[in-house]
Amino acid sequence: MKILALNGSFRKNGNTEILLKQALMGAESEGASVEILRLTDYQIHPCRGCGLCLFRENVCQVQDDDVSFIFSKIDECDGMILGAPCYFLELTAVVKQLIDRCWILGHKIGKIKKPATVIVPYATRGWIPYVSLQSNILLNIMGLTKINEITICTQGISEVVLDTEAMDLAHEMGREIAVAAEKKDFTYKGDPGICPSCHDWLFRILKDRETVECPTCGVRGKLSLREGKISVTFEEKAWADSRFRPDVGYNHFTYHIAPSKDYFLRTKEERKLKTQRFKEYLNR
Amino acid sequence: MPRYLAELRYYPGDPLEDIKISDLKTLGKEYGVNISCAKIENREMKDGLLMERTLDKRIEDITQEVITVTSDQEENFSKCLVALYKKYRCPRTPYSLLGSNEAGQKIAKKLMDQHGGW
Repeated sequence: MKILALNGSFRKNGNTEILLKQALMGAESEGASVEILRLTDYQIHPCRGCGLCLFRENVCQVQDDDVSFIFSKIDECDGMILGAPCYFLELTAVVKQLIDRCWILGHKIGKIKKPATVIVPYATRGWIPYVSLQSNILLNIMGLTKINEITICTQGISEVVLDTEAMDLAHEMGREIAVAAEKKDFTYKGDPGICPSCHDWLFRILKDRETVECPTCGVRGKLSLREGKISVTFEEKAWADSRFRPDVGYNHFTYHIAPSKDYFLRTKEERKLKTQRFKEYLNR
Repeated sequence: MPRYLAELRYYPGDPLEDIKISDLKTLGKEYGVNISCAKIENREMKDGLLMERTLDKRIEDITQEVITVTSDQEENFSKCLVALYKKYRCPRTPYSLLGSNEAGQKIAKKLMDQHGGW
């Protein structure tokens, strides 16, 4: 059994790396073999938006970087720990860069059964609203099931070693992911959040001002106040629209993306004519 | 020829609830517009999923439900579209108004932007 840690921090031996290594030690204590990849050590070029991976299955035009290698490592592992610092409200750019390259993995949504856990060190309390959003997108599109997630308030480089509770927690999360991978038990053990699927606390108010939606899962519910506490209730049928269900992912590709080729081809001449002035403008 | 014509193309999974002719008739009557629905079904069951190859097909030929709304009255036409968007949510794709006339498409698109987010 192998546990892979993906490190979204540039800093060597920084708080993220320390917490990930501590978690891997926990995984090792359960008999796992372990590996860590620092994402910034690898070339992750931007997605070119060419759509080839969507229109010609499994073909990515960007071949001169290390994304295929990173994906192969994820394929090899039985469980994954994602670690990334939050510098400014969200995870680091390298995580988003990887998310954008995950289009090619879209066909795996909901089909892989591997657990994942997330560790996010951050400095200022209250400045982490989008960290779960990003990690949820990444894990979901990679087909992994999140079983836990923690945010740890720490600041200067390597200061987290002074926080015994955080270090113990990271060790326990590593042990936990190894056990989950071994037993194939993907029960969620973290903070329940508001969304029962991705466990985030974020919600989007829709324009009718009657409905709220989990921005990650796309599942809609109704907001209410119960004994002064905000809650969201979901109808059972709402879960049929969850973005990361295999059938919803299939419909999205089949009916929203693939048919755009027909529209693209039939508007070719008109586009060519209307695009010309933009090719010439500010293009010296 | 009606002044305003909109064709709203809903693909599998797009409408929030089943599109029923009886509901459309009620809406048509309520807003004084002509409304109809055409259903195209080309999916086949494979591996437990209803599947279809759409990559090299014409948009009009793939599985979808097309609600057609026509009227000479802008206000009625607009109100009916808003009601449809509220009931089923907006069609999802940039080409989901294909087949509409120019006046109808302009209104339908503007209302999607105003009442979208579903």
